[in-house]
Amino acid sequence: MIYKTKDPNGQVLETIALKDANLEIGEGEFISLIGPSGCGKTTLLRLLADLIQPTSGTLLIGNKTPKVARESRAYGYVFQAPALFEWRTVRQNVMLPLEIMGYNATERATRAEKMLKLVGLEKFARNYPWQLSGGMQQRASIARALAFDPQLIFMDEPFGALDEITRENLNLELLRLWRETGKTIIFVTHSIPEAVFLSTRIVVMTPRPGKIEKVIEVDLPQPRNFETRETPRFFEIATLVRESLRHGHGYEEAM
Amino acid sequence: MSKSIIPMLVVAAITLALAFPIMILLNAQAAQRLLSRGAELPCGKDAIACAFNLRSPVVPAPNQLLEDFPKAYFPPTDPNSVPYHAFFTGLAAVLGLLLAGVVGLLLAVLLTVSRAFEQAVLPWLVASQTVPIIALAPMLVVVLGSNGVQGLLPKVLISAYIAFFPIAVGVAKGLKSPDPLQVDLMQTYNASASQTFTKLRFPTSLPFLFTAFKVAMTGALIGAIVSESSTITDAGLGRLLSENSRASDSRSLWLVMIGSAVLGIILVALVGVVERAVTPWRRTRS
Repeated sequence: MIYKTKDPNGQVLETIALKDANLEIGEGEFISLIGPSGCGKTTLLRLLADLIQPTSGTLLIGNKTPKVARESRAYGYVFQAPALFEWRTVRQNVMLPLEIMGYNATERATRAEKMLKLVGLEKFARNYPWQLSGGMQQRASIARALAFDPQLIFMDEPFGALDEITRENLNLELLRLWRETGKTIIFVTHSIPEAVFLSTRIVVMTPRPGKIEKVIEVDLPQPRNFETRETPRFFEIATLVRESLRHGHGYEEAM
Repeated sequence: MSKSIIPMLVVAAITLALAFPIMILLNAQAAQRLLSRGAELPCGKDAIACAFNLRSPVVPAPNQLLEDFPKAYFPPTDPNSVPYHAFFTGLAAVLGLLLAGVVGLLLAVLLTVSRAFEQAVLPWLVASQTVPIIALAPMLVVVLGSNGVQGLLPKVLISAYIAFFPIAVGVAKGLKSPDPLQVDLMQTYNASASQTFTKLRFPTSLPFLFTAFKVAMTGALIGAIVSESSTITDAGLGRLLSENSRASDSRSLWLVMIGSAVLGIILVALVGVVERAVTPWRRTRS
């Protein structure tokens, strides 16, 4: 599968080349895509979500093409920015996908209530997005992605714009959500600690052309908590990820 | 609201302070010319003193405007009063705006949906606005009049002619302005084009829509006044303006002018009231 990003003059800006990259993702796994800027991790996620299409070749999620997966509403997508609709209250935002997918009013209300409780925003249901902090807005956007109960969740650096403390709290929250819902999550990040803390496996990507460098198993025990970050095993795995990233980077400079 | 009124009043005070000497200067010159021709003025021989009391001043003095005000404005139901005429002008402008709103929204949707429509029609829409309305109004009134259409309708049509353009262009821009991430989001839901329109594009365009309506409202008012002054109508500020200007009655002219300004402010404020009711999420936002 090849994807090329081109500027208006046809100059190729970025290439992702995944040849026979076969990643068996089990149900309920938490996979992180990590790599430096420009390695195409967001692009890969957008390809998987059928928001863009490959220049050549094909890719499959499970046994579905991304197009079929999107049309059958098989996944939820959490973007870098919360992308909440400012004219809707938090509750109405969570109900947006349900309205589009034709759920009836009582179903919409019960699901929205449940989701808001799940992300701890039930007290802010009637607030408008601008009245919420950045972290709370991103939680609302996660509730929105979960509302129609897709098995697969794509997350594109959802906590990238948040401060370190908020981010660590939300990481813990996300793990709890993942445990409680049993979703399969594919998570893009450029933070090594975040990837190690959250994932069951980490896919290390390197740039020019964007490709998968290595897949690292994360065998830290579940459930994880704040202490997990301080265990020797956490540092070992983080070092492994760092070395893989550096290896890919060194390769690039040697060219 | 009360906080914002004080700076506004300061500007008003400064404007009056600047206008006052100009008024005295212009009227004193006129008085001087009369006196040098040996005219007997009731205000005596002092040109400056006469600046406040000329029968037909170049710029009416504040005392003269205050003196004429009750007669020109009360009772408002009197067919010769400024408010009476302002009502008919305002009615034409508001109806014109509503008509323009329907046409403008329709054009905006077509402009957004079809690239071909935009390329074919947008240049003509721009061209339509380069025709001076003052040249167009009498023609339109004659054409309509020959078909027995008189009174309110020609005024409404001319108002709408000016007002549809900012609405079409402004709303088209609004419909194209959702955050790309939000468009992607709708895509991930496999939302239909009409769902994306009603749930994302249209709400996104509302702030643009109301800004456009405020611009269009003043345009519609100009259209109504111009069509009244260039044609024979029963009532309207445009008719009062042209009558008084023909009679060189600057005192009445100024009172009608002030009435027009107030009418404009009221009509635009009315759009603002509707805006606040329709977009409550923006109300408390500073």
